[in-house]
Amino acid sequence: MPSVIQAKELKLAYPRHEPVIQNATFQVETKDFVFITGASGSGKSTLLKSLYGAMPVSGGGLMVGGMDMRTLSSAKLYKLRRHLGIIFQDYKLIAEWTVEKNIMLPLMIAGYPKDVCRAQAGKLLAHVKLTHKADRLPPELSGGEQQRVAMARALAHNPFLILADEPTGNLDDYSARVIWELLQKANRELETTVLVVTHRIPELYDLSYRHLILENGVLHDIR
Amino acid sequence: MTFVKNHLGLILPLFAILFSLEYLLLFDRSLSQYEVRLKEQYSVVLVAKGADKERIIASSKLIERVDDINKTRALGKVTHSISKTQSEALRASMPDFYDIKLKRYPSGKELETLKSALLRLKGVQRVLVFEKVHDKLYGMLLFMKSNFYMFGLLIGAVGFLLIVKQMQIWQYEHRQRLQIMALFGAPLWLRSGILFRMAVVDALIAVFMVMLTVLYLPYNTQVALMTEETGVDVTALIRWQDFGLIGAVGLGIALLCAMWVVVRFREEL
Repeated sequence: MPSVIQAKELKLAYPRHEPVIQNATFQVETKDFVFITGASGSGKSTLLKSLYGAMPVSGGGLMVGGMDMRTLSSAKLYKLRRHLGIIFQDYKLIAEWTVEKNIMLPLMIAGYPKDVCRAQAGKLLAHVKLTHKADRLPPELSGGEQQRVAMARALAHNPFLILADEPTGNLDDYSARVIWELLQKANRELETTVLVVTHRIPELYDLSYRHLILENGVLHDIR
Repeated sequence: MTFVKNHLGLILPLFAILFSLEYLLLFDRSLSQYEVRLKEQYSVVLVAKGADKERIIASSKLIERVDDINKTRALGKVTHSISKTQSEALRASMPDFYDIKLKRYPSGKELETLKSALLRLKGVQRVLVFEKVHDKLYGMLLFMKSNFYMFGLLIGAVGFLLIVKQMQIWQYEHRQRLQIMALFGAPLWLRSGILFRMAVVDALIAVFMVMLTVLYLPYNTQVALMTEETGVDVTALIRWQDFGLIGAVGLGIALLCAMWVVVRFREEL
């Protein structure tokens, strides 16, 4: 079975800038729970972006879900993204859509009928304990609540890989706990691969995880 | 409030463009109607002896028909003060008078050409074209035409500029949603669907507003008074086909705007 993520001597650089990531070689297998840590500006988010095709590969090789990210056409990239669950530090919720509709987005994209989307969104709202806020708009919610909505959206379509960028960065303890519990649950029960970029690994019980550190553009596998 | 503002941003400039288009169509028709009335009231008088009517008609494409002017009417009261024999002799010595009706209201140059062509005909002694009256009316017509076209184009240009502005606002407003949907792999049709739906709805509202305004015109007292004085029938100027044209133009512009926003969208790194 191919690795979920396979990076070989990966190089990432913004146009007309020094490379952010150099010679990164790592593999992530199915069911892995991986943390990537590093100082601010070390390139963690850039690395994560390259995994969902928002950052082009400058050198080396990168395969995600068996797809070569260097040569991926935009149609295939969109296809790949439909099977990813992405959680952003700034939530990236559609402000003019209700909480429920935001959660339904990946299912709508996958082409599920509206009633199926709604039922699934209802279940996930219960998981993130926001059923009572289904009809609210994201700007009416607190940061913690918005991130829980983003979490529900990332899980809605049972992705094979969840990519999370500082998912609990500025959250209250309760919201952070809900997020970590759900990520653990998805990893354990649904066998979803989880890759989290964070500056600090939380205290998680009963979880075996891998830890990669980014230092000066170089990735070290320490656990 | 933001919702209403977003919609009005496209509806109002679109209304301005479509209304100026309909306005130009209506005005063009009213001018044509007015020109027909002018043409009917205007005629050239030809004085000739032994001229052939067929040849007069054939001398210019502008001529619609040639009517005889009754000599008795031309002699008028003179016949009352002279004997019947003298009157007969006078009538026999007099040239023939013709009233020439034209197909359309001519320009000054066309009138000059017509006059020369008629004077070249055998037996034609004089051609009366009433230049002063003609030039005054024709000048007024041209002035009105150019002014109203300029006015219509000006409204259209202002509407166009407002639409360009609205497209920039749209680009900013929809960027976030387009960006998020792209990150989740939404195909182009789904990403832009909302935008196109909004464009179609706004276009239909604008077209409907233009229709209502135009259909209301004949009931407006000011317009009614104006048309009564000029003799232009506003109801006859309004045509249902116009609404089809306006609908197509409105939808076309709105869809182009949406397309522009979609095409200009670039995923942020």
